[in-house]
Amino acid sequence: MNPISQVRSDSRSQQIDNGTGNGIGLSRGLGLLGVGLGVTELAFPRALAGVVGVDARGPASSTIVRAMGVREIASGVALLAAPAHPAPLWTRVVGDAIDLGLLGLALTTRGSNRRRLAIALGAIAGIAAIDIFASRRRALASRRASVIAAVTINKPPLEVYEFFRKLEHLPQFMDYLASVEVLGPRRSRWTAVLPVGGTASWEAEILEDRPGSALSWCSVEGSPIQTRGRVTFTRTPGRNMTEIRVELQLAVLGGGPSTTLARLFARPQIKADLRRLKQVLETGEVLYSDASQHQLPHPAQPSLPGRRDAAPRTFIENPPTARKGGTP
Amino acid sequence: MRATCWMGKQNVSVERVPDPQILNARDAIVKVTATTICGSDLHLYNGFMPGMQKGDILGHEFMGEVVDVGKGVKNLKAGDRVVVPFAIACGNCESCQLGNFSCCENANPNGWVTEKLMGHATCGAFGYSHLTGGFAGGQAEYVRVPYADFGPLKVPSTLRDEQVLFLSDIFPTGYMGAEQCEITPRKVIAVWGAGPVGQLAIASARMLGAEKVIVIDRFPYRLDLAVKKAGATDVINYAETDRVHEALLDLTAGRGPDACIDCVGLEAHGYGVEYTYDKVKQTLKLQLDRPIAVRDAIMACRNAGIVSILGVYAGLVDKFPLGALMNRGLTIKTGQCHVHRYMKPLLERIERGEIDPSFVVTHRIPLSDAPRGYAMFREKQDGCIKVVLDPAA
Repeated sequence: MNPISQVRSDSRSQQIDNGTGNGIGLSRGLGLLGVGLGVTELAFPRALAGVVGVDARGPASSTIVRAMGVREIASGVALLAAPAHPAPLWTRVVGDAIDLGLLGLALTTRGSNRRRLAIALGAIAGIAAIDIFASRRRALASRRASVIAAVTINKPPLEVYEFFRKLEHLPQFMDYLASVEVLGPRRSRWTAVLPVGGTASWEAEILEDRPGSALSWCSVEGSPIQTRGRVTFTRTPGRNMTEIRVELQLAVLGGGPSTTLARLFARPQIKADLRRLKQVLETGEVLYSDASQHQLPHPAQPSLPGRRDAAPRTFIENPPTARKGGTP
Repeated sequence: MRATCWMGKQNVSVERVPDPQILNARDAIVKVTATTICGSDLHLYNGFMPGMQKGDILGHEFMGEVVDVGKGVKNLKAGDRVVVPFAIACGNCESCQLGNFSCCENANPNGWVTEKLMGHATCGAFGYSHLTGGFAGGQAEYVRVPYADFGPLKVPSTLRDEQVLFLSDIFPTGYMGAEQCEITPRKVIAVWGAGPVGQLAIASARMLGAEKVIVIDRFPYRLDLAVKKAGATDVINYAETDRVHEALLDLTAGRGPDACIDCVGLEAHGYGVEYTYDKVKQTLKLQLDRPIAVRDAIMACRNAGIVSILGVYAGLVDKFPLGALMNRGLTIKTGQCHVHRYMKPLLERIERGEIDPSFVVTHRIPLSDAPRGYAMFREKQDGCIKVVLDPAA
């Protein structure tokens, strides 16, 4: 199955995840439950041990209950801080597994109240089921969501579109691309430099091409990197500038962890790409500082000749934005 | 080349570093003939600004001679004598076209970090932390100047370096602070801080026609210069009185100053509980700024008056008199100076002899003495107001 679902046609609608009807409420509830339970475990470890039927006389048991409490609070706080993210939910699932294991261990220990332990085990299993359900739902939702970024460029939409439509221009501001080769009116081959070394190549096809307003593309079947993207060019209210919005869906090697990892880097990457596109169109080139031309932290002082990290740079003598954006 | 490098808190040293090269087509390389230590450099020196890295070249107020230009620079050539604005701005983005050069949208390669800290990115700046882009500064023999076709101002050979050097930062900054006060002769202006920017804010306010300008500071020699050279009409030494607010009301017969200019910023000094409170919070990194001067300015300002903030602030502050601000209808005007907007008109004023900003200079020392300059400026020793460094000496 293609892990990329259909890109939404209206770029302006539904961009904001407003937190209703998508399980975020459930995530927040689980976060609160975790913090509440954690505080109780931390404050009254012996009383709680008694309630679930564990023999609380041993010196180790209250330490264990307190440690469980700390784990609950950490997961809960993380979840409340980022309820839309699947990762804190998965830490809850891991925590549930540990809790179940410890209670199972308690069953085999003398001095435990088996009836109470059984009830506690049932309750934790129930919560674990809810945690797993919530985690899977959030994971699925975040994998389907597209990355959206936008920037305003001081240039009329048609000119921004025309620059972008010449796909060979893309490596000028998308710094992970080594090249884009145009194969036909709709076909192109993209080559990216991978962060782990080496390159990856894939072909893409333009799906929608509306001069001055929108462009969308999709990687062809069987590519190692599957992308589906859409760029819209909208005139800024009252000024003849361009609001450019990028919506991108991404899957690497068929989905799973590599996709999650790629998605993690995709948003900052696209935002930086757009910032560079703005620089190229407005000023003619991507601006470097003494520090920013290096991949790794570098003091703001010139580096030795011949040790420059980046490749030769292009400069557009008369960038499209040399003319003023001015009111129409 | 030799350059003044930030090596840690209250530790600068003049180091040998590689010469700058053209990195972008619109770059120029400038051989520095005069550069200064700015009050805002002390915030870096004292370690209050985030985003510094060991080895960063300091300095953002400088002038010199063009020695090399990139292929995109048509209006400058080797040999041109230029003053370089401290703010790096592209001239092409909407902010630049609206005249808001210090809000340039393209000149900060580390804009995404500033965005996280301040909501939106600001322009680039020379030698002023990696939050403003990580550009090497001007307290050096040579500097790479980005967007050189737009920023640097050619200056006539009839004017001495010291007369035009401050067009790079403190003169336009002080002038903008005064301009924001919408000065008319009947307006009383109060200026907090009699450092170099304060002196030029006072001089600019007088030049724009203010009849009465009150200056607040704690060093007699700075207050003295403010009266004798900048043109302040009244002084309040807050080391000698704990009733600055009352003194301001006395001087304005109860109205309060019509406009207040804060030329102090995040290391404001004071006496008493408030200062201790802010100092403790700042030391514990619970707040980046000590907003004492701006609090005073808001409380003293006349109803519906203007508070013009030139002092540099870095982050969040505590106990900010928002109620006074709102209920008394005050207006806050502020910003890093849009230098490019003011350089040319102010150069013309200097040429016409309306003002000579070089009156703030108290020390001229070789670049190699920069560490001593920093220490002296920080400790306010030897009547120090403005230090000019000479890279050739």
